[in-house]
Amino acid sequence: MVIEEEHVHVELAHDPLDAKASMERVGSPKAGAIVLFAGTTRDNFANLAVKQLSYDAYPALALKTLLHIARDVKSKHSLTSISIIHRLGTVPVGEESILIAVSSPHRQAAWKAGEEALELTKEKAEIWKLEEFEGDEESVWRANRDGQMGVRVDKANLNSLKEEGSR
Amino acid sequence: MSTLNPTPTFKILYFASCATFTRLPFESLPAPLSLRDLFPTLEKRYPGMTKRVLESCAVTVNLEYVDLEDEEVTGKGTDGEGMVIKEGDEVALIPPVSSG
Repeated sequence: MVIEEEHVHVELAHDPLDAKASMERVGSPKAGAIVLFAGTTRDNFANLAVKQLSYDAYPALALKTLLHIARDVKSKHSLTSISIIHRLGTVPVGEESILIAVSSPHRQAAWKAGEEALELTKEKAEIWKLEEFEGDEESVWRANRDGQMGVRVDKANLNSLKEEGSR
Repeated sequence: MSTLNPTPTFKILYFASCATFTRLPFESLPAPLSLRDLFPTLEKRYPGMTKRVLESCAVTVNLEYVDLEDEEVTGKGTDGEGMVIKEGDEVALIPPVSSG
């Protein structure tokens, strides 16, 4: 699922993300700087070993939100181009779950814009992370806003949740 | 009679902790429904849902957030019934997000 405008690209993808493609997308002879942020999935939370993570989303609304964020950040920092891609479904530990690439004539704007786009995405995009732990520990829906573990999911319920995605 | 319309409904989407609680990704509920009756209706279907998940959820109708504290939306303190969810609307409960 992609929304593409001139120099603005937002996307939700089920396949592994391609950092080089993101950089190439925002690259331009007008831009002297490209900043790429790659968020990767961590192998632990609160000292618990994470086996894998899955992301659920409200695709239509998440894309709309990402488009607003990308447009606003591009305009505020006079970027040449911006690309925000988030992965959905199961993401094995160590792989990228989000790529944000921005380009601008000079580096300061690109640094600031990259961070701002990430923070706004984490705050607003309608995407949810489910952490599955090693052993008997129950899975947990995280909430970015308070850094807490969030709501636990019992094992019986987990498989039915992972079969969603037809919405 | 074969020409009878089925009961009018709206679609409600459950994500993350909401889907965990309802054990459903989405379902159809009877329309029309006053927005202020949404949480009580869900609480009746899923006892305990308000405290466990709804209190931390936002609500969208057709991809627009609605402010559940707003008097014009809920009709509280006014004579009206506030905003009404209509047949065919897509409503979603939005738990605290966690992308990245």
